[in-house]
Amino acid sequence: MAELARFEEFGYRYPEAADAALRAISFELAGGVTLIGGPSGSGKTTLLRSLNGLVPHFHGGQAWGRASVLGADLRTTSTRLLARAVSMVFQEPESQFVLATVRREVAFGPENLGLPPLEIAQRVDCGLETMGIPELAERRIATLSGGQRQRVALAAALAMRPRLLLLDEPTSQLDDSGADSLRLACQGLAAQGLAVVIAEHRPWRVDMPGCHQLELEQGSLASPQVRRSGPPALPARRGRATGAVAWELNDLAVGHAEPVGTGIDLAGREGEVVCLTGPNGSGKTTLLRTTAGLLRPLSGALFRRPGRCAYLPQEPGGILHQATLLDEVRQTIRWLQLDCQPGPILEEFELSSLADSDPRDLSTGQRQRAALAAVLVGRPEMVFLDEPTRGADPNSRALLLKVLDRLTAQGSAVLVATSDTQFAHQIGDRVMELAGGHLRESSEQAA
Amino acid sequence: MNPRALAVWVAAVLLLSLGSEDPVCRVLTLGAAVVVLAVRRRHEVRLRPALLAVGAAAALTILFNFLLSHTGQNIVVALPGWLPALGGPLTVEGAVYGFDIALGLAACLVAGITLSLVVEPHQLVDSLPAALSHTGAAVGASLTLVPRLGHSFVAVREAQQMRGWRPRGLRSWTAVLVPSVLTTIEGSVLMAEAMEARAFGSGSRSALATSTWHPSDLLTASAAGGAIVAFVLALVLGQIPSWQPYPTLLLPALNWWPAACCLALFAPVLARG
Repeated sequence: MAELARFEEFGYRYPEAADAALRAISFELAGGVTLIGGPSGSGKTTLLRSLNGLVPHFHGGQAWGRASVLGADLRTTSTRLLARAVSMVFQEPESQFVLATVRREVAFGPENLGLPPLEIAQRVDCGLETMGIPELAERRIATLSGGQRQRVALAAALAMRPRLLLLDEPTSQLDDSGADSLRLACQGLAAQGLAVVIAEHRPWRVDMPGCHQLELEQGSLASPQVRRSGPPALPARRGRATGAVAWELNDLAVGHAEPVGTGIDLAGREGEVVCLTGPNGSGKTTLLRTTAGLLRPLSGALFRRPGRCAYLPQEPGGILHQATLLDEVRQTIRWLQLDCQPGPILEEFELSSLADSDPRDLSTGQRQRAALAAVLVGRPEMVFLDEPTRGADPNSRALLLKVLDRLTAQGSAVLVATSDTQFAHQIGDRVMELAGGHLRESSEQAA
Repeated sequence: MNPRALAVWVAAVLLLSLGSEDPVCRVLTLGAAVVVLAVRRRHEVRLRPALLAVGAAAALTILFNFLLSHTGQNIVVALPGWLPALGGPLTVEGAVYGFDIALGLAACLVAGITLSLVVEPHQLVDSLPAALSHTGAAVGASLTLVPRLGHSFVAVREAQQMRGWRPRGLRSWTAVLVPSVLTTIEGSVLMAEAMEARAFGSGSRSALATSTWHPSDLLTASAAGGAIVAFVLALVLGQIPSWQPYPTLLLPALNWWPAACCLALFAPVLARG
């Protein structure tokens, strides 16, 4: 199989960073699928960025060693030229959208290649079909759910028909059918001799026979870990004794202008974790936000007992604006006039060593933990979390479980909206599925 | 709607609202701009925020002219002379002239808003000549940042409220404004990175669709183009009445030539469908 990329003792340091993000990386990439593993902040995203030249051309900084992609020297070939054959889907797909509607967004890349309109149209349809979203073609991107946006970003990358496809946490918001579509698409590309490189914290969702593996640890290549066929087992939650009703929905209809869910009856009790799952775009976030009091129900009755609600939005990075992570947690304590210290929650999320870091300098996974620490400090009576495992490595998932365990033991009522069904079944006392506008108890078992 | 036809119409609105100080002409032009915006806007667009912003700009214009002109015979109040800039008589004529300027400004703003709320950014990009396609795509992309800032503001405000933030004076809003702006700036950097990674600027661009002309677009462009030609001709022939409220406040005269030009700006409403 022809060599597509070769890295020899390649290293890189971001501008103004004290430590190198990549250190003496050496590997060769032929066709097929390669999975990059490693904890949050280990350099996976940087390695992907270096495979299409964004590192160092877009980000600046200092690079050393040798690297070539598709025969071109990485240090002298610009990203925009490499991009004609190398596509990338970013970790936060909502930030990469350039145009307002799905069809035009998917067409943006092929348009940059100067293709004839008929071929562009064909590629757009094919990309949308592959990701199972042809019905979204005329929708505005602003109206899509997080998972639907991730599928659009993947369709846009596939429409470029790249020789090398780079995917950064591509299933972080995908439901199981979306992950299956992606795996099949990657298998198809690999069968054509093309290369797909995937950084993924849940590798079992995209794993396939013949898959190569790279493991990163603090910017260096490490020995690959034993491949998992499913999520690592999490310690069982203690207690699970539930108390009085904390919130209750009766015959509720939720939505913005149009209802996305009707006839919803659900209640959450003290000490209970209720998880909401369902396909991308089914209305999980809308139902969570309505229950938290951020959206008015279209009809029906909503009861929420008095007390503090902690809320983690789907894009949590936006709430972080203090100079340091420590100040960020202190801010919540000050605003809510809590009688506690920031240290313990930072410790619980293993963020003590990053307490003096600017939250915006952290990796996506670390930011997620930082936002969780900022909203969960103290003892909130009710907790509402939207996709809390987005970009989370197995360790972060275990830490979150521990914190939720403590909170429920103290009587918090927790509602989690997630497309991560395995996590939902691992932590939830009850797992509810929202699909086709109706809510029902999920019959699926934890993997 | 064809963006090129709409661009001709916008050019006509700008010319007619700025080419003369005739309040009748400006009232008609503003009326046409508001009606066209209301009727031809994309269905998902909300008009209220845009119209509030235009109203605020117009109100400020009237206020500034009233406070700063000090010219005219009908004095409302006289401020002490030691007040810098504000000192002196404040007149009815000053307010009326401010109103006239505000009409022209509002018509221009509404025309600009119409261009962005009636057609999609990508339609504007598609309608540009090939030589401008890269610039157009970059401008089209940057236009999406404005609604993103709005979404970001709402999302951050909600999240901060749930963390205990409450609006207490102007200073407290930094907890919402700073993360909103930072998130948008960060988003624009990520978007630039994504554009680079999607081969933007790697060679000549093509387009999925080219803009098409419908009979209604031809009618709009012809009416607006005709209005431009007729108005310029009227200017050259001295048929556009000059009006100023100074020194004596008089009602503007009605001149049919410029009024007819302004009425032609309603064509996009008639040509709807």
